[in-house]
Amino acid sequence: MLGRLTWAAIPFNEPIPLFTSLAVILIIGSTLAWVTIKGYWPYVWREWITSVDHKRIGVMYVLLGLVMLLRGFSDALLMRSQLALSVGPSQGFLPPDHYNQIFSAHGAIMIFFVAMPLVVGIMNFVIPLQLGVRDVAFPKLNSVSFWLTATGVLLINLSLFIGNFARTGWLVYPPLSELQFSPDVGVDYYLWSIQIAGVGTVLSAVNLVTTILKLRAPGMSLGRMPVFCWTALAANLSILAAFPVLTATLALLTLDRYLGFHFFTNDGGGNAMMFVNLIWIWGHPEVYILVLPAFGIYSEVVSTFSSKALFGYRTMVIATMAICLLSCMVWLHHFFTMGANANVNGFFGIMTMIIAVPTGAKIFNWLFTMYRGRVRFSVPMLWAVGFMVTFVIGGMTGVLLAVPPVDFQLHNSLFLVAHFHNVIIGGVVFGIFAGYTYWFPKAFGFRLHEGLGKAAFWCWIIGFYLAFAPLYVLGLMGATRRMQHYDDPSWQRYMQVALLGALLIFCGVLFQVAQLVFSIRHRGKLRDEVGDPWDGRSLEWATTSPPPVFNFAVLPDVRGGEAYWDIKERAVGAQALAAEPDYQPIELPKNTPIGFFLAFCASFAGFALIWHIWWLAELGIAGALAILVALGSRRDNEYVVPGTAVARLDRERREARDRALLALKAERISDARAAVLPAETDPHRLGHRDAKGTPMTAGEAGPASKRVVSSFGFWVFLLSDIILFSALFATYAVLGKQTAGGPVPGQLFNISSVVIETVCLLLSSFTCGLAMLAARRRYAGLVQVLLTVTGLLGASFLAIELNEFAALLSHGAGPDRSASLSAFFALVGCHGLHVAAGLLWLATMVSQVRSRGFQPGVERRLMCFGLFWHALDIVWVAVFTIVYLFGTLR
Amino acid sequence: MNDASPPSAGGTAPGDESDRLLHGLATYAVGLAFALILTGASFWVAHSQALWRPGIPVGLIVLAIAQMGVHLVFFLHINTGPDSSNNVLALVFGMIIVFLIVVGSLWIMANLNHMVPSMQQMMNMQP
Repeated sequence: MLGRLTWAAIPFNEPIPLFTSLAVILIIGSTLAWVTIKGYWPYVWREWITSVDHKRIGVMYVLLGLVMLLRGFSDALLMRSQLALSVGPSQGFLPPDHYNQIFSAHGAIMIFFVAMPLVVGIMNFVIPLQLGVRDVAFPKLNSVSFWLTATGVLLINLSLFIGNFARTGWLVYPPLSELQFSPDVGVDYYLWSIQIAGVGTVLSAVNLVTTILKLRAPGMSLGRMPVFCWTALAANLSILAAFPVLTATLALLTLDRYLGFHFFTNDGGGNAMMFVNLIWIWGHPEVYILVLPAFGIYSEVVSTFSSKALFGYRTMVIATMAICLLSCMVWLHHFFTMGANANVNGFFGIMTMIIAVPTGAKIFNWLFTMYRGRVRFSVPMLWAVGFMVTFVIGGMTGVLLAVPPVDFQLHNSLFLVAHFHNVIIGGVVFGIFAGYTYWFPKAFGFRLHEGLGKAAFWCWIIGFYLAFAPLYVLGLMGATRRMQHYDDPSWQRYMQVALLGALLIFCGVLFQVAQLVFSIRHRGKLRDEVGDPWDGRSLEWATTSPPPVFNFAVLPDVRGGEAYWDIKERAVGAQALAAEPDYQPIELPKNTPIGFFLAFCASFAGFALIWHIWWLAELGIAGALAILVALGSRRDNEYVVPGTAVARLDRERREARDRALLALKAERISDARAAVLPAETDPHRLGHRDAKGTPMTAGEAGPASKRVVSSFGFWVFLLSDIILFSALFATYAVLGKQTAGGPVPGQLFNISSVVIETVCLLLSSFTCGLAMLAARRRYAGLVQVLLTVTGLLGASFLAIELNEFAALLSHGAGPDRSASLSAFFALVGCHGLHVAAGLLWLATMVSQVRSRGFQPGVERRLMCFGLFWHALDIVWVAVFTIVYLFGTLR
Repeated sequence: MNDASPPSAGGTAPGDESDRLLHGLATYAVGLAFALILTGASFWVAHSQALWRPGIPVGLIVLAIAQMGVHLVFFLHINTGPDSSNNVLALVFGMIIVFLIVVGSLWIMANLNHMVPSMQQMMNMQP
């Protein structure tokens, strides 16, 4: 009934997890009770849980990340105290089994559930505002992404109370993570929580890439976007490139653990190195996924607080895109010592060093932005300067580690640990704190207390150096990572200093909590009346703080590189705002609980899969599928904000701005006049559009139509799906010959049935194309007939494939026989699953065309379905060539 | 941001097709014909005895890539028009990544297997 779940799963005899669990349950329980007593549930449900507003979702992401930061940080404190004590005869207070869980959880949580939600949350909040649009491309999908991430968080935290967590390190390397050596639920918690959250991350990247490329205010060409949008574009493209590989890799390990496949096992021809290779194809871009948006935040902050345009905008953009591509070519430096020869190590070492060039260019750009600027050392700027110093040190040690012979000395040592904390804390975490302080007033309408923020910054940065400088030294002395105990008493002093540093960081965290509480209580005094508290330069500062649900009363007309700065300087110079625009009613998507319900089902399914409670897993998956079908056939649910309401809100904003204009000093006004006048006569300088009315290019015409947006979004999603397949192809190519003495798949193929399969699929693509043509002409009956034919052809393809699988299984050539057969079943089966999903989708399309005809929503989905079905052919061409034809070559 | 705006705003949608019925029909028919011919050629090449054996794998890969191109152009309507530059750029980005993953993995793994004995070999080494 309950699978592996028994009372033994609750840690009654381990005081640390038990008391932590009780404390967490108490905190969550009292929070829920408080919400209930105060009667806040309807508000929380209506305004937050079901919200599709990118600002609300962004705030929820950040909140989730901050809470998990506390969890991950408490793990860090435990480890530092253990190592300060556990020398010689003393064993410290954490037994090895628990210590192993703690360092694994610390790494996994900090990357997947702290850094990722914080970065994604900030991007979600800021990007539509900076682009001058009303929301992201797919607001409902955005809610789904968030709630799937929340499911991952829930599952990984459950491991603390029920069962245990992986003891394998944060990347669950096999063979240790295989069933043979990790038979309990620890690794399964890891797999399912990260798998579910990873799907959310990919969907969110599809959303943000589409938003940046297809939804921008009129005049906002790509070359006029703020650098944060560029870095976010690069980061989200990297997510699309890397996360499908993570999904595939973890799925393969899951198959090993659940169904006895042999991808990474010691027996059956499996190869654990393939896991290491694949996981780092994801793992290295992941570093840049986190740090690129942080670079964007620093760019915004440095330019704003230096009161100057960013130095070297173009080099910044080029460097960003170069890093995006280069980051996909360096992954082997994570396993230099695992047996590659000098050619391979040399290539990846050099590629790694090359990445330092665009990164270095960025550092100089920030420094030159500050040079001769009017620098204000507010809290965000402090974080930015602290970053520049710290990150350069981290970058240098990184270049050092990129030299393979050096890496042979330092790999798996505390030197490495110090290096990556140096870049991730100094780069990503400082950036997140800069962004948090910088955009907090935009999100909530009041600033954070300056003094407490400065205190937190100094605690963090001094604490950081105290905590990690000793680790560099210890690493050079030979101390390894993931070490629970050591014998050399001379190390203890360094460990104690590191603990002191961690405690100082803890003080910083306390100051941050105090800052938040204090600022909320004194928000009246800290209020941002105008919506532009830092004298900002990009469009998010053009609207109120917090922005109305529609962001902008009228989409801004962008005329130059620093969209809002230009508008503001004109207003300041003229001492008057631009003329009042003509307010139109605004259409906005309605809230939906669909993301929350999906996460609800996914949580139960995930938990059930971890504990082998199969009936609950089936129930959860069936529920999730039903919700997906509902999502795929929903009606356009929109409501309209009347023009009068828009006008009322915007007039309030204009009044506040008018007051602010009149309060300006004469010096500021004359400065603005001096800046605007030459720009007025020099159209090149502000990048004005040609005044003669040359037609705008597609990139400047404002947001694209829904049709273009949805099919482009789906196109981007398909590309990430193809990348997932490429990981499976690579696995097949590497493991295809590892038959472990069993049959070669090629001996068992029936080529004539493959020919029939292929013809079925090609014909189905043709009829699907005809259905699209018929849909363009609104022939509803014909569309249904053609789609049905497509479905029948697809179903016969699937039937032949299943028949082939059954024949293989009956010959004892199942996936558990050898790595070769595992790779075959995974690759061909994954394509088959796609066909099956396509058939389900097709059925819903037929019924939608039947019941609702060609509503715009139905038409858009039909177009996406067409893309999906045609893409399956492309994958199949690769499958029949590489698997079937290469497999039967003699 | 509504369906009434001209289709060219913000570029062409991937999968958008010609408005002329005959042209559309012809595109799909030609695409199907090409796809069937290329598929037939692949299967024939793989199992024909009349060809130079070592050239066959290369030939198969060329045929497969050609067929994928046919599908992209005739079924998915990806073209090089100025409005669809985003679609093509996204595709190119994806192809670069696919290439890096497959070729990189093969290179790395071939090399590792070359330098490190497999588990089976190591067991044989033990006395």
